[in-house]
Amino acid sequence: MNESVHLSKQFDEDLTGLRTHVLEMGGLVEAQARAAIHAYASGDTAAVKDIVENDYRVNGFEKIIDEETIHVVAKRQPTASDLRLVMGITKIVTDLERIGDEAKKIAKGARRVHEHGQLTLPRATDVRHVADEAIAMLHQALDSFARLDVVKAAEVIHADTKVDTEFKALVRQLITYMMEDPRTITTAIDIVWICRSVERIGDHAKNVAEHVIYIAEGRDIRHAGKEA
Amino acid sequence: MKALTTEQIRSVIARGKLKDSIFQAVGIFCLVVGLLVILLLVGDMLLRGIDRLSLDFFTNFASRRAAQSGILSAWVGTILVMFVTALAAVPLGVAAGIYLEEYARRNWVTEIIEINITNLAAVPSIVYGLLSLGIFVYAFGFGQSILSAGLTLALLILPIVIVSTREAIRAIPAMIREGSMAVGATRWQTCRYHIIPYAMPGILTGVIIGLARAIGETAPIITIGALTFIAFLPPVPFSTTGEGTAGLFDWVMSPFTVMPIQIFNWTSRPDPAFEVNAAAAGFVLMAMVLSMNALAIWLRYRLRKNIKW
Amino acid sequence: MQQIENKEVPPLKAEARSLNFFYSEVQALKNINMPIYDKKVTALIGPSGCGKSTFLRSFNRMHDLYPGNRYEGEIRFFPDNTNLLSPEVDPIEVRMRVGMVFQKPNPFPKTIFENVAYGLRVRGEKNRRVLDDKVEHALKGAAIWNEVKDRLQDLAPNLSGGQQQRLCIARALATDPELLLFDEPTSALDPIATGAIEELVHELKQRVTILIVTHNMQQAARVSDYTAYMYLGEMIEFGKTDDIFIKPQDKRTEDYITGRLS
Repeated sequence: MNESVHLSKQFDEDLTGLRTHVLEMGGLVEAQARAAIHAYASGDTAAVKDIVENDYRVNGFEKIIDEETIHVVAKRQPTASDLRLVMGITKIVTDLERIGDEAKKIAKGARRVHEHGQLTLPRATDVRHVADEAIAMLHQALDSFARLDVVKAAEVIHADTKVDTEFKALVRQLITYMMEDPRTITTAIDIVWICRSVERIGDHAKNVAEHVIYIAEGRDIRHAGKEA
Repeated sequence: MKALTTEQIRSVIARGKLKDSIFQAVGIFCLVVGLLVILLLVGDMLLRGIDRLSLDFFTNFASRRAAQSGILSAWVGTILVMFVTALAAVPLGVAAGIYLEEYARRNWVTEIIEINITNLAAVPSIVYGLLSLGIFVYAFGFGQSILSAGLTLALLILPIVIVSTREAIRAIPAMIREGSMAVGATRWQTCRYHIIPYAMPGILTGVIIGLARAIGETAPIITIGALTFIAFLPPVPFSTTGEGTAGLFDWVMSPFTVMPIQIFNWTSRPDPAFEVNAAAAGFVLMAMVLSMNALAIWLRYRLRKNIKW
Repeated sequence: MQQIENKEVPPLKAEARSLNFFYSEVQALKNINMPIYDKKVTALIGPSGCGKSTFLRSFNRMHDLYPGNRYEGEIRFFPDNTNLLSPEVDPIEVRMRVGMVFQKPNPFPKTIFENVAYGLRVRGEKNRRVLDDKVEHALKGAAIWNEVKDRLQDLAPNLSGGQQQRLCIARALATDPELLLFDEPTSALDPIATGAIEELVHELKQRVTILIVTHNMQQAARVSDYTAYMYLGEMIEFGKTDDIFIKPQDKRTEDYITGRLS
């Protein structure tokens, strides 16, 4: 990334502000996901209300950042690395907002599962394990954005395959439970939904990492297949 | 630094404005002095010569009797000499000016030529007279003719024409020249279609100012020996004279007199009556010069109207 | 210089090869190698004094008008592979093939018609019908015909700045140049007039190859297919405009187009 300063200090400040807001939003989203998974794993359904309510803050960040991007584009006509940064940010923000939504879904799912009172079947720890990996991906993706570190971003993209595989395994396991004991179906489906959200968080984290590579190098590696 | 109070600002402005008004007053005074002197001179000549200013004065030749004396041969001579002067000085001066501005490379030769042209303008007019006496009158055998006088004065005003041509050309923006060259024009095409037409107002002004100077020159004309009593006009082309039919250019070889010489002639007479003639002729000469200047201003205005960039 | 590889290279119209240029003792262009592709718009950008105008004016030998200027190297002109800078090539011949539009509109203080007809007159065209046709065609090409068709005998300097500049474009077009040079053509114009000129450049590239110098980077981004960044008389980077403005390869290009101090 270009480290020299702009002739226009104001422009530098605008871009710095934009990046800071994205990182703040990322931090908030990450905290939301952690809290949701914690609620699911520990059965602390009281936290669900907070998570659901905090989602409006995530949406608020999205609006603010979108507005700031439009202002930068309108006033500064960014080019080259600046242009890529601004365009990349608009996409990253969309992914972060979706992660926020997924966290909310996990929290709500956790509440349903625990209100049914039957968490004995699928071991909560398995889900938690995958979720930790997905959240770690998100964390690393945000880290790579903060430093525009292409190597880190590439690791995130690689890690997504693992999360996907583990998600499939979990679903297969849950199907087995359901076949063995049809009374678990309601709960098991809720858990499948939770797993699905976890997997989506991993996907969005991967997208963020792809945007980081675009910002840093101008290479668009989305949908590039195996060679990426 | 502390900011000034309103009071201080006002006093600073007041002081500045006082100097403004003082300079303005001095300037107006100087202007009035200059104008008054000219007005007095012209007025004085007019007053002293007014009795003689009649149609007869313009149609009579000079005579022994002051009251019947006129300036016919003088004004006709002046106009003819000026005609020759213009005819010789304009092509020479304009061509030289164009060459120096548009063609000549900048090197020490052109440098020397430029300095010399500027110096030529400062050469006393009597020196031109001496030069012409040697070259035109004797070497070329033109004698004491209109041709000799015209060429002499042409030499005299040549530097003025060259300098004003160059100034006029320099006033044309480089982008006009580049615009012309950029479509593939040669230097001559650029001069012919652009440089000469656009420089014309400036060139004409220079020529007329040069002629206005030449019209009053006495010394060089006296030097070539034109201080004679002339009571006839040069032959009109194709008219019948004592020696047969006059040719188209016979008049250029004719002896002549001009206004300043006529005036000089009269003032050197002992009879005070001729002083009146001199004053009247002086006024006419003055009027000729002023009307030439007026013509220059009018021409410049007319021609410049359509030239802008 | 870095060059971005692209698979389909359009045909060349001209190419600078090891071009050096000197104003007396001062070297203004340093070993410039650059292609000019046929029927494309190539923009030259860079800070003031970087040599972009000097480079542009080498293409029609404008420097020959002033003493002490010296070229080294070649500008090859295609399809005939003439070296425009060769001493054997008459600069007038070059200018007959390469038109130019200047920074400030410079119509001659003559009528609109005469301004456009001038290039043809210089070439000895006297036939009134031919002149009328070509003048009309050129004025249409410069998108100014509708505004001036009823006042061809008016004086050109009475037109507005934007119209004057389009008239100058018509003047250059009248003689069917193969390459058209624009030296910051909109720096003296307001945004509307600028927009009209940019639109015109876009239309003109159907007919003619264009090389344009501009201070306005956004303009370069808008009108050009290829962009070259010059700095201190050197060609720093040449590439497709999209590449230059999205991911330049050279840090100096990046710093310049993003407005950074370097």
